[in-house]
Amino acid sequence: MAGASLYGQADVPDAPDVPGAPAGGGLPYGLDRLSNPWTRFLTRRLARLLVSVFVVVTATFLMIHLIPGDPVRAALGLTAPADLVESRRESLGLNEPLITQYVSYLGGLFTGDLGTSMISGTPVSEIIADRLPQTALLGSLAFLTAVAIAVPLGLAMALLTRDGRRRGVELGFTSTAAVMSAIPEFLLGVALVAVFAVSLGWFPVAGMSGASSFVLPVLALALGPAMALARILRVEALRVLGEDYVRTARAKRLPRRLVYRRHVFPNALTSMLTIGGLVLGAMLIGTVLVENVFAWPGLGMTIVESILQKDYPLVQGVVLVYGTSVLFLNLAVDVVLGIADPRSTIRES
Amino acid sequence: MTGPLVFEDVHIRFGSGSRATWAVRGVDLEVPPGSVVGLVGESGSGKSSLAKAAVGLVPVASGRIELGGVDQSGRTLRRRRVQMVFQDPYSSLDPRMTIGESISEALPRGIRRAERRTEVARVLELVDIDPWRATSLPGDLSGGQRQRIALARALAARPDVVIADEITSALDVSVQGSVLNLVRDIQRELDLAVLLISHNLAVVRYVSDVIAVMRSGRIVEFGGGDEVLERPEHPYTQLLLESVPRIGSALGPSDHATRRE
Amino acid sequence: MRTARWRAALRTPLGATAAAGSLALLVLAVAGPVLWGSAAEETDVASMNQPPSGDHLFGTDDLGRDVLARVLVATRTSLGLALGATAIGIALGLILGTLPVVLGQRLGRMVVALVNFLVAFPALLLALFFAVIFGLDARGAMLAIGMAIAPSFARLVQTLSASVAGRDYVSAARIAGVGRFRLIRRHVLPNIAEPLVVNATMGAGGALLAFAGLSFLGLGVQPPTYDWGRLLGEGLGRIYVNPAAALAPGVAVVVAGLVFALLGETCAAVLGVRTGRGPVAGRARHAEQPESGKEAAGTGGDTVLHVDNLTVAFPAERGTSRAVDGVTLGVRAGEAVGIVGESGSGKSLTALSAAGLAPASATVSADRLDVAGVPVLASSEAQLRDRLGTSVAMVFQDPTSSLNPSMRVGRQLGEIAQTHDGTSRAEGLRRAVERLTWVHIPDPQMRAGQFPHEFSGGMRQRAMIGMGLMGRPQLMIADEPTTALDVTVQREILRLLRDVQHDSGAAILLISHDIAVVSQICDRVLVMYAGRIVEELPVDRLDGGAVHPYTRALLASVPDMSTPQDVPLATIAGRPPEPSERSPGCAFAPRCAFADDLCRSTDPVLEVVGPQQRAACWHPQRAESVSGGTAGEMPGGTAGQSPEQTPARVTTGDDQ
Repeated sequence: MAGASLYGQADVPDAPDVPGAPAGGGLPYGLDRLSNPWTRFLTRRLARLLVSVFVVVTATFLMIHLIPGDPVRAALGLTAPADLVESRRESLGLNEPLITQYVSYLGGLFTGDLGTSMISGTPVSEIIADRLPQTALLGSLAFLTAVAIAVPLGLAMALLTRDGRRRGVELGFTSTAAVMSAIPEFLLGVALVAVFAVSLGWFPVAGMSGASSFVLPVLALALGPAMALARILRVEALRVLGEDYVRTARAKRLPRRLVYRRHVFPNALTSMLTIGGLVLGAMLIGTVLVENVFAWPGLGMTIVESILQKDYPLVQGVVLVYGTSVLFLNLAVDVVLGIADPRSTIRES
Repeated sequence: MTGPLVFEDVHIRFGSGSRATWAVRGVDLEVPPGSVVGLVGESGSGKSSLAKAAVGLVPVASGRIELGGVDQSGRTLRRRRVQMVFQDPYSSLDPRMTIGESISEALPRGIRRAERRTEVARVLELVDIDPWRATSLPGDLSGGQRQRIALARALAARPDVVIADEITSALDVSVQGSVLNLVRDIQRELDLAVLLISHNLAVVRYVSDVIAVMRSGRIVEFGGGDEVLERPEHPYTQLLLESVPRIGSALGPSDHATRRE
Repeated sequence: MRTARWRAALRTPLGATAAAGSLALLVLAVAGPVLWGSAAEETDVASMNQPPSGDHLFGTDDLGRDVLARVLVATRTSLGLALGATAIGIALGLILGTLPVVLGQRLGRMVVALVNFLVAFPALLLALFFAVIFGLDARGAMLAIGMAIAPSFARLVQTLSASVAGRDYVSAARIAGVGRFRLIRRHVLPNIAEPLVVNATMGAGGALLAFAGLSFLGLGVQPPTYDWGRLLGEGLGRIYVNPAAALAPGVAVVVAGLVFALLGETCAAVLGVRTGRGPVAGRARHAEQPESGKEAAGTGGDTVLHVDNLTVAFPAERGTSRAVDGVTLGVRAGEAVGIVGESGSGKSLTALSAAGLAPASATVSADRLDVAGVPVLASSEAQLRDRLGTSVAMVFQDPTSSLNPSMRVGRQLGEIAQTHDGTSRAEGLRRAVERLTWVHIPDPQMRAGQFPHEFSGGMRQRAMIGMGLMGRPQLMIADEPTTALDVTVQREILRLLRDVQHDSGAAILLISHDIAVVSQICDRVLVMYAGRIVEELPVDRLDGGAVHPYTRALLASVPDMSTPQDVPLATIAGRPPEPSERSPGCAFAPRCAFADDLCRSTDPVLEVVGPQQRAACWHPQRAESVSGGTAGEMPGGTAGQSPEQTPARVTTGDDQ
């Protein structure tokens, strides 16, 4: 319920049931029309995004400073000569006061400068630009696959097992889904490689080369989340089936498919969206593991390599990219949710 | 006796800035010792917010709520002489605590263990519940019984004022009567001051000496029960009174032009 | 009782598997390194990278060490690190989660914001972030994973404790002067402990998998120590040579992860926590009544609802419980009939069943159940749609939840015309706007384009009634249509219903717990008690003419605007029986002052007791009029009654 209608003026809208009252009578409705809830919603949401991005930037900046001891010494090894360490510290700007470093870090971000790799000497932004597309492609394909599996499967299972019908099917589905979603993507990847690449030789073991090389990584990334989403969607759809407004739809004696299509599915999908957003974020980060199983030339390989090599500027850059992508994903989910569920824009603002 | 519970120009606000809504806007009200004041109003009129403010659950934006010169609106008050009974009997008792523990928790500090037990038994008897019930969990009790226990817990704190917020509206009609009777009997027996809040005019009328009608955060009418109900002055009170369904009374013509077809 | 439930859980397949699995893991963790420690370390250059064989069940690694032995030995490290990380996560989560309650509003809100921010990031990203800071070894990874899982746990604690903190018993404790820490210890934590235990168990499984992931990437356990993730990473490099070396640790991880998941489910089952499994509903079956096949329209012309011996039963622990037990009623065209009863009396189920809308778990049967001449029980859903169409309209109690929140109101009305009259979408919408006008919704054109949440409660209920008017209703069933509304709005809705009845000629079946509400627009009242109709009388007989003791007590126990203040309200001792605990005889007998052995042994049937009046009672109370609210005519203990059956005249309460 909109907060405004709980108290004060807001209990007037019922009173205009009295004759002669102006249309709608209440202040809240008039207000809503004056300042579009969407504008308010988007403003608030963007402001929040800005704050979040700022926090992420600060956190990645601080990451290198939170490492106990001297990160440069750690990166170069105990045997590295002292003057090399010193000159490296100098070039990374680590000898400046913290606040100066922070300001120049922020300044660099605005010009797209994320520093240079300590190992290869290449600008971090170049490495990221080179690697990001592969990861984005893998992630989005996997997401589409997961949704393409989860939505029909979850809804079909809800309908088949509604009102406690087909207990066998229900048990089979829930336990399969539970097991599947409990297998982490990298294990699934290893198993898929062992079966379909090594034993059967249908797909390449690793690397990105042509369409067939996408099949196993995408499946490894998508199957678990797909089952998890299908399970959630089924539960949501069953919950919606028990809602009063579905009873209303039945009371209207609409054909069953209309009841499902108009009244059950949209609301079930809407309530799945929030969790879907989390799953999507987890899939994005899941690429780190899957890329390392399949030697996929993406950001996930880069981040692990750079962490192992203690190439801190690169680590910072990649973490920043991952972090902000998660934030933008969440924003996208919120906007979709706002479109799908008319109440959420009001709730937000 | 510590004197009346006094509300003086009380304002209560929810939210802040441009989104602030005023639940209560300038209420003056007095609950004299030993009397029952009924507070009627529809949902959103601010009556529950006023009650919660009197026990420190909701902060007041301005104004004072005092009992015997002691401010009651603060969150931290060592011993509250104003106690409250809530609407929902299923939410007002901790399901993991026995009835005895719940009541004992409300007893004033500094009572010894043995005395606590007799004290719990005493208040249970006050509300017509067998003292042996002290070891039961709320789950074993009916809604009406829970409401009695909630009343017992409020009484255990030795209050001067008890606020009863819609205490019968979650109960079945056949149980409602016995709870109302109990409130009346205890009020008389202990000479308590009671602030009875309800949307049900008949309930308020039956129990109260004085009636206040609240709407949109303000008290629009105040006076003796018969006075307010038989000669209502404020149009809202008149509307409320007309709206109460009565057996054998006519519904009256629709306020709207009747639809033609 | 608790132990008994745990013991019972162990006998279920789920519980037994979980228990056996946990035990096996425990034994392996303790005994593994002792038994196979040397085999796991023993290098053998002669047999490097061998595939599975009799000697080495899963082959050997690149130093010739036995893979199986290494997997078994790694159990201790893997589990230990996972549990350590979980412990860190839970401790941090509990602190972050309860902090808002302790800190108070302003600081608390900041903690909530922090947790909300962190929880948006996938745990693996947080783990990578912290792993960089804490260093690439087992200790660093444990800390990193602990901190990575802490936010979601903190969020859970916050949500749960916020919901508990909002309950009245916490408010009551605060009013009673209970301090913050004691509040958390005594009221909040005990009431959220169970879901926390369940989630902690499942969280341990998650930590195990996360740890395997980190080690697999080379960011966790470092050689010479090894855990399953490390073994997996090593095995993957040689997957062409020996796939078993990669699969064995993988299987170990999955199995251990599943054991934690099953353990969590078992805890959830025992403690009664929901984990997102589907609702458990009984088998749906509408009993078909074959005998009413041939002459469907023989309902005597002007009867729109004809119910004969309706029974609605639900599966119960032992057999079935009958929520509606042999109800017979009829509603004539254009008539307004009310059903009155307390919660659990079966009044709503009667109405829903009449419209063919009983819940799926209910078994509905009747000798006859005709609506607008259509046998409801003998018709399929499609038949009902074709033959009944829109001749029955329903209005439900809660207008907020009865309208689809994600569909515009006009569309929700319009789809009825589209479906049943085959109109276009535009025509459906035009008709919707017209019906909204009929039910006095101001600015209907604009309102039709709005969503239900933009309507006030009263307006939503008007829209529901307008929805019923989209067709040509012969009967409008209104189930507590005003209970959720304020009195002033209630009156408007009742007037609207009355106008609808007059103007459209539809009959009305109004269900309410409030006898006064029913009396306002109905011609006849049916009083239900414990699944049966106990009295049926014209509305004008309510004041003094009721003969059933229950009806009379009900009328006397509700204060009205003329109840004398100085007389205690009449009360009815005891409470209505649950459907499952009904004994033979009159269901009201245990609470009735006039009950005798006949009442307690034999069911009274509905018999005519006056003009248009019927009652199911062995001792109908005619004579003197009930003058509102006096307890006087409820005689106290009648001879022969045991004390506990004596209905209290004044205030002994509702103890059973």
